[in-house]
Amino acid sequence: MNPKELNSNDPVAWCPGCGNFGIREAVKRALVELELEPWQTCFVSGIGQAAKAPHYIRCNLFNGLHGRALPVATGVKLANPELVVIAEGGDGDGYAEGGNHFLHALRRNIDVTYLVHDNQVYGLTKGQASPTSDSGMKTRTTPSGSRVPAFHPLALAVALDGGYVARGLSNRVAHLAALIAGAVRHPGFALVEILQPCVSFNRVNTGQWYRERVYELADEYDPTNRELAFDLAREWGERIPIGLFYRSSRPAYPLPVPAAPPSGDTFRFLLETLR
Amino acid sequence: MAKVLMKGNEAIAESGIRAGGLCYFCYPITPQSEVAEYLSRRMPEVGGAFLQGESEVAVSNMLYGAAGAGVRCWTTSSSPGISLMMEALSYIAAAELPCVIVNIVRAGPGLGGILPSQGDYRQAVKGGGHGDYRCLVYAPSSVQEAVDLMPLAFDRADRYRNPVLIIGDGMIGQMMEPVEFREQEFPSLPEKNWATDGCKGRKPNVVNSLYLNPVEEEQLNRKLGEKYARMERDEVMFEEFNTGKPYRALFVAYGTTARICKTAIKKLAEEGIDVALLRPITLFPFPSERLNELAEPAEFLLSVEMSMGQMLEDIRLATCCRKPVHFYGRQGGLVPSPEEVADEVKRLLGSAKGDR
Repeated sequence: MNPKELNSNDPVAWCPGCGNFGIREAVKRALVELELEPWQTCFVSGIGQAAKAPHYIRCNLFNGLHGRALPVATGVKLANPELVVIAEGGDGDGYAEGGNHFLHALRRNIDVTYLVHDNQVYGLTKGQASPTSDSGMKTRTTPSGSRVPAFHPLALAVALDGGYVARGLSNRVAHLAALIAGAVRHPGFALVEILQPCVSFNRVNTGQWYRERVYELADEYDPTNRELAFDLAREWGERIPIGLFYRSSRPAYPLPVPAAPPSGDTFRFLLETLR
Repeated sequence: MAKVLMKGNEAIAESGIRAGGLCYFCYPITPQSEVAEYLSRRMPEVGGAFLQGESEVAVSNMLYGAAGAGVRCWTTSSSPGISLMMEALSYIAAAELPCVIVNIVRAGPGLGGILPSQGDYRQAVKGGGHGDYRCLVYAPSSVQEAVDLMPLAFDRADRYRNPVLIIGDGMIGQMMEPVEFREQEFPSLPEKNWATDGCKGRKPNVVNSLYLNPVEEEQLNRKLGEKYARMERDEVMFEEFNTGKPYRALFVAYGTTARICKTAIKKLAEEGIDVALLRPITLFPFPSERLNELAEPAEFLLSVEMSMGQMLEDIRLATCCRKPVHFYGRQGGLVPSPEEVADEVKRLLGSAKGDR
């Protein structure tokens, strides 16, 4: 399959230069690498610019409520364990409105992949401070700078022994695609936090800002070392690591096992009875 | 004071501050985020509190807390955000706490759209949260009226110890009009001796809405019921238009659609068709008594709403269906034009003739 075959016909409503384009490309490449046909995957999203992303990919889509992608994704997965379920949204959607659901999805460790587009600002409502806005950042609702420290999702995920904890960058498409593919393969809850510029409403954390700071975790880095992962997850500012930070061996939340389908004999018996 | 040209959302924000609403909580949502943005700049200048919460659920509970502590507090949001506040609203009403909630209504249900709507009439007027409670509901039809209603809303919230809703639609929030911030005088309010503001030298106050004893719960419900009856007696507000001379039909419309009806009335008058308008300013309490009087000479009533017809039910109830009550509306964020409203009147008058 060619990633282009996964394009949908929906007109794209993102600004030119938005980091979301790179993320969408990485998602499509990951689906191709995983050899997943569109009917095998269900995307679940809430509300925000990032939550529009699944509209632009030709797969099953459940576009639900603001902040509630994870509970909906949990419902989808329990109802249909065979389906690959990918929840997708932004930092406001996932860490503010849906913050509580994020905590409990990590605890529960259900086999759902969660892609969070993090541009450190509310984009859909045009530029208010979000949970990941850095302390001191000026936005439309923090005119003299944000007075609260930024939320660090990776540190939280490692602290809660989250299943698969990774971070990518929107324009490092190949690197990001590999992280997403790894997240889908992981049998448990997988978080891929994706840094991205917002060209319209975040003039601080630009593409260049990220480029100057981001570095990839070394190949020999051991993602089972939780203490080291926690230290790295808190590294933010001058240098920002990306890659797979942590992978837990904790068992995933049990999914229902469907009862065995009727055997050929039973089926014939039923048919004859009904006749 | 001279008039200034302001966007509805910003004018509401400024009026809230001038009314003493110095404690404000918010969560971003279109089409009302400008209220929050304005107040994030303005609140520090007046020594007030501005906080952007992590969700509307959080915001409404912050409101519950601040109201309980006895300060004038408020929030603004839009339809889906208001839905998330309904749980806290029920508790705030049960605990008899004052606060003001502004809903800049957008098209629904569900996520809907971001264009103007009046689809939250039932949620505002009939409940929305659980249990037997009501809110005072004001519906401004201009930016100036929204500005004027803010101090009244805060006063009535304190006076009745009850949440007050202001229902504007996206049009009121987004359009710019000249406004004047007028000083309004109100009789003095009783002291908030119920507030959880520290208990040195007195008995501790308790904010609570749990009554496991059914007799006590019934007492609360009856006490609230009496309060709502007082509102129905004393708080009804409405505007009449063109009711001074004989008319064949009566529009009933609030907010933006009432303005459209006024234009339609002028157009119809040019064609020799006299139509009047009753515009409820309070949606609860509903101006039932005056509506009954004004319905008398009309051949029919026409409810014009940006919904599938929600106030329509209250008009029928108020008039006991003694006159035909028709409905004309647009949905989904579309706003009816004066022409289509006028055409509907002519169509109904034509068919009314046929009926005779």
